[in-house]
Amino acid sequence: MNLLTVVTFLPLAGAVLLALIPRDEAGQHRAATLVFTLLTFFLSLGLWFGFDASPAAPEFQFEVRLPWMPSIGIGYHVGLDGVALLLVMLTTVLMPVVILSTWKAVGERVKEFMVALLVLETAMIGTFAALDLILFYVFWELMLIPMYLLIGIWGSQNRLYATVKFFIYTFAASVLMLLAILFVYFHDGNTFDYLEARSALQVTAEQARYLFLAFGLAFAVKVPMFPLHTWLPDAHTEAPTAGSVILAGVLLKMGTFGFFRYALPLFPEAALTYRPLLAGLATVGIIYGALMSFVQTDMKRLVAYSSVSHLGFVMLGLAALSAESLTGSVYQMLNHGVSTGALFLLVGMLYERRHTRAIAEYGGLARQVPWLATAFLVVTLSSIGLPGTNGFVGEFLILSGTFLSRLASSTVLATVASIGVILGAVYMLVLVEKVFFGAIKNEENRHLPDLSVREGFVLAPMIVLIVVMGLLPGPFLAPAKPAVDRLVQRFQQAEARLGVPTSVGTVDAAVAARPSLPPGRAF
Amino acid sequence: MPALANPSAAEALLWAIILFPLSGALINGLVGKRIGKGNATLVALGAMVGSLAVASIAFAWALSGRTLHYHGDPWIQVGALSVSWSLLVDRLSGTMLLVVTGVGTLIHIYSTSYMSHEDDAGYARFFTYLNLFVAAMLILVLGDSLLLTFVGWEGVGLCSYLLIGFWFTDPQKAFAGRKAFVVNRIGDFGFLVGVFSLLAIFGTPVYAEMSALARVVTPDAVITAGVFAGWTYQGAVTFAMLALFVGATGKSAQLPLYIWLPDAMAGPTPVSALIHAATMVTAGVYLVARNSMLFTLAPAAMATVTLVGAVTALFAALIAFTQTDIKKVLAYSTVSQLGFMFIGVGVGAWWAGVLHLVTHAFFKACLFLGAGSVMHGMGDETDVRKMGGLSSKMPHTHWTFLVSTLAITGVVPLSGYWSKDAILGNALFSHNPVWHEVGPIAYVLGSLAALGTAFYMTRLYWLTFRGAPRTHAAEHAHESSPAMTVPLMVLAVLAVAALVLGLPGEHWALGEVFKEYLAPVFAAGTERLYSHDVGHFHEGAHPAWPYFAAWAIAAVGTLVGWLMYGGGWSKLPARLAGAWPWTYRFMQDKFRVDELYDAVVVRPLKTAAAVLWRWVDVFVIDGTVNGLARGAGLIGSVVRLTQNGDVQRYAAVMAIAAAAILWTVLGVGGL
Repeated sequence: MNLLTVVTFLPLAGAVLLALIPRDEAGQHRAATLVFTLLTFFLSLGLWFGFDASPAAPEFQFEVRLPWMPSIGIGYHVGLDGVALLLVMLTTVLMPVVILSTWKAVGERVKEFMVALLVLETAMIGTFAALDLILFYVFWELMLIPMYLLIGIWGSQNRLYATVKFFIYTFAASVLMLLAILFVYFHDGNTFDYLEARSALQVTAEQARYLFLAFGLAFAVKVPMFPLHTWLPDAHTEAPTAGSVILAGVLLKMGTFGFFRYALPLFPEAALTYRPLLAGLATVGIIYGALMSFVQTDMKRLVAYSSVSHLGFVMLGLAALSAESLTGSVYQMLNHGVSTGALFLLVGMLYERRHTRAIAEYGGLARQVPWLATAFLVVTLSSIGLPGTNGFVGEFLILSGTFLSRLASSTVLATVASIGVILGAVYMLVLVEKVFFGAIKNEENRHLPDLSVREGFVLAPMIVLIVVMGLLPGPFLAPAKPAVDRLVQRFQQAEARLGVPTSVGTVDAAVAARPSLPPGRAF
Repeated sequence: MPALANPSAAEALLWAIILFPLSGALINGLVGKRIGKGNATLVALGAMVGSLAVASIAFAWALSGRTLHYHGDPWIQVGALSVSWSLLVDRLSGTMLLVVTGVGTLIHIYSTSYMSHEDDAGYARFFTYLNLFVAAMLILVLGDSLLLTFVGWEGVGLCSYLLIGFWFTDPQKAFAGRKAFVVNRIGDFGFLVGVFSLLAIFGTPVYAEMSALARVVTPDAVITAGVFAGWTYQGAVTFAMLALFVGATGKSAQLPLYIWLPDAMAGPTPVSALIHAATMVTAGVYLVARNSMLFTLAPAAMATVTLVGAVTALFAALIAFTQTDIKKVLAYSTVSQLGFMFIGVGVGAWWAGVLHLVTHAFFKACLFLGAGSVMHGMGDETDVRKMGGLSSKMPHTHWTFLVSTLAITGVVPLSGYWSKDAILGNALFSHNPVWHEVGPIAYVLGSLAALGTAFYMTRLYWLTFRGAPRTHAAEHAHESSPAMTVPLMVLAVLAVAALVLGLPGEHWALGEVFKEYLAPVFAAGTERLYSHDVGHFHEGAHPAWPYFAAWAIAAVGTLVGWLMYGGGWSKLPARLAGAWPWTYRFMQDKFRVDELYDAVVVRPLKTAAAVLWRWVDVFVIDGTVNGLARGAGLIGSVVRLTQNGDVQRYAAVMAIAAAAILWTVLGVGGL
């Protein structure tokens, strides 16, 4: 049995099993779900250790190809490249943490809640693993339904508006993407297989541009890129903690992953055309998202807007198309999953204690809940990219990789984007200050309990990841390398076909570009 | 010990210098609250002593002329970028190493008494941060590449933030911490752009490699490809150095980013001494000195460093005239003295800038700790108007403060005199090819600042220690414990003894020892400065008159300060304030720079953000989406469906909707 398939469908099997447990046994539902997500995680370690990141290794590993609806060219085709592997790992790590975080927070309809989460996990892993366009689309849609339910049923006061908005945005995006997938089907020899489509696609330059826009729009909504981001603050704010964590941690990566896997490699020529637009919007998003965070009075909304800024960095790195910037983007996808996921977990813990998201309701908590405050600070530091945390590695690679890329005006873009690093410190530290420092103004804050053991177990993996990925990024960077190199190569080939001078990759250093250099001496 | 006999054994130990305080921070951070103050002290001090011991071994090797290099494991390796955890101890970082661990240890000892009123949790937290700071500062100093330095650079910023806001229940203190971090982040933005630029020019962030490459490039050769295509090497490196210097103005509190340092006095006083006087704030000076070879390619950047340093030195000295908070006076004094250091490294007299860094670390740490001792004796009073006559109540604090005051004033022959004069003398005779006059201008501004220093320090000393006690608290002030006074004494002695480092005259045994000692580090840079294509110095002997001028300046400033606050002109300050009330208030309000920034930067940014949110996000984008949805009747129908609260039905509708999309579109696509 193929390990990737097992990892993909194990959570779904768990969901089926949950159906057999009586509705009243909330504790059993929680425990069974935790066991299944943990089991999924341990099995996914097999993927992690079994993956061969050497350049000679096959592009997609753990690959399976079975006929599903052969008459119309749909197959069950799955496999992982390094980037998908990293994102699958992110998913399997986050899920047990999320389940553990809902232990006390969710008391109603626990069974449905857990089933939704397990279905969601299968859908997310499947989306990363799919190598067939229809399979990908099915997982993509399957992912949205539990998410609608999570927000619509377990959300807070304004959940209906948020759900509808989320639905409208993603509905429009899905329709466009499906149309594009069908168009591809009719122009690559009638197959939905991703690998065949990638090599056999025959479209005119104009058609390719429309296809890129259709895929790109669907993914840009998901990222979300400015100005398609306004569903995010509502969805995040209204979703229950678990929903917010998964939304921020994994679902937003579907957009950036979509660009990396589909929009960019399928239509490289078109991507070259729209790259300046992507880079420009990404940079605007970095600054704009940060400014929005600056004026929010609701914690979750603040963190949600910060995601717009952080995902802007990822998109900028993708658009810059240098090995460093692309690697940085992949890394930043993981970082954002860990850091923003952890931020939502922490905000959820505060919410469980005080039942409000309004920043003004807090203040002076650090003395009451020192461990929670410390954890919040560490995660904040990761979010603002302090060196020594994971955030720095990603941001630095994106910014330096963009600065040194061949994209037009990349130095200006990278410099403007670097201002986002300043703004990030402003809004996050204001949040920390308003919540944890100062005197206690609100009597209700005087007797809050500090982290429980369970909450400690929720946060510990996140903090360990923040530090380890900050100090020893090597093992997390390595799997991304072959995928990144292949993407750069694909673009170089496209430019060769077009006969244009290369605009992808990294520029040479000025000194190294000199024809001859005397052997350097130490100073 | 093998490390004493064998340099490669010493190299293998280099990380221990950092890991000692880092583990101290970890232990006290995790269990410090529970193990009690005594054990927490043991951990924190033990970490410092261990670090100091290994640092001394490393320094001994540097002194013997050996450069220690630890080749660490890779940190970030992607594409052409490669950074490893490698450390470097040459004579420059060796000097910093001793200052950081030496002064750091003294201040840890002092803090055991100063912070003893805190509860167990606060006490452990303080030493956690203090140890962590030392670790970060050591990474900054020892890192062999800009990127590793940046790790420490932002690390010390974090610790500074935590320690300024140590008493975070006071919102003003918490704000001061954040202000420090954010202003430093503005500087760090420059630092990052500088790193990117240097990567574009040299392709490596490693100091030794950049310096080696900088030696072989021709300054006016045109770069043919890459980010700086079309620029000359000189132009590109100038851009990079200016960007790096923006970082330095943040960390080292120079114009226009100095505004965080005075507010940073909200932190406990040992923190002000260690971080905001002796070590962290000198990081910018270290950064410029460390990249001396690159700066020689960029005379315009050197001129900028010189001018910014000189203007800051005078500007901050002027503000110090009218401040009444003992720590604020010392804070502005620090800003001013850092300006002197930048003049030194800006005119290519790197050794003089670094020498002033060392002497300043001694006397300014002593002054701050003295101020802390005074506050301790007076029940946390910081207003000098409420002091007076403390010399008899606090004899040890008094004499050490007096010695340090004389040292910073530049009284012959204390250390400050030699280091400051080395800077000013070298500035006067420097010759920047881009702007010939910048050195002499810096000399004039710096001399005026020195005059001001003598004045405000005399004023501070007199108001605090001399005259009659002006309040009840001052009458009943008490001397601090030996744990506090002994470090004061050691620092006062060092402030005097360091004079041997700066004696002039190259032809005798004790002449210019520090210059000689640092010569290998700066040899290549100095060589280029003297060479034809840059030409920073007039060759030939310097006349002796600047030494006498400096002497006279210190004497005049001290005399005026004494006359106005201790002697016959004691009515003059009030009369001056009365004659020019507006000017006086303007000075007291620190020239209202904070208010200016608030009006020009902070408030417009907030307004812009609020306007963008209301108009772009809510009105334009959401308005469009909602309008489209309403037009399609979607909102109404979906809301109606969901409002009956039937979850299964809701789920079913969603699933059917998704399936419907699929089939409709499939059908359409098939046609």
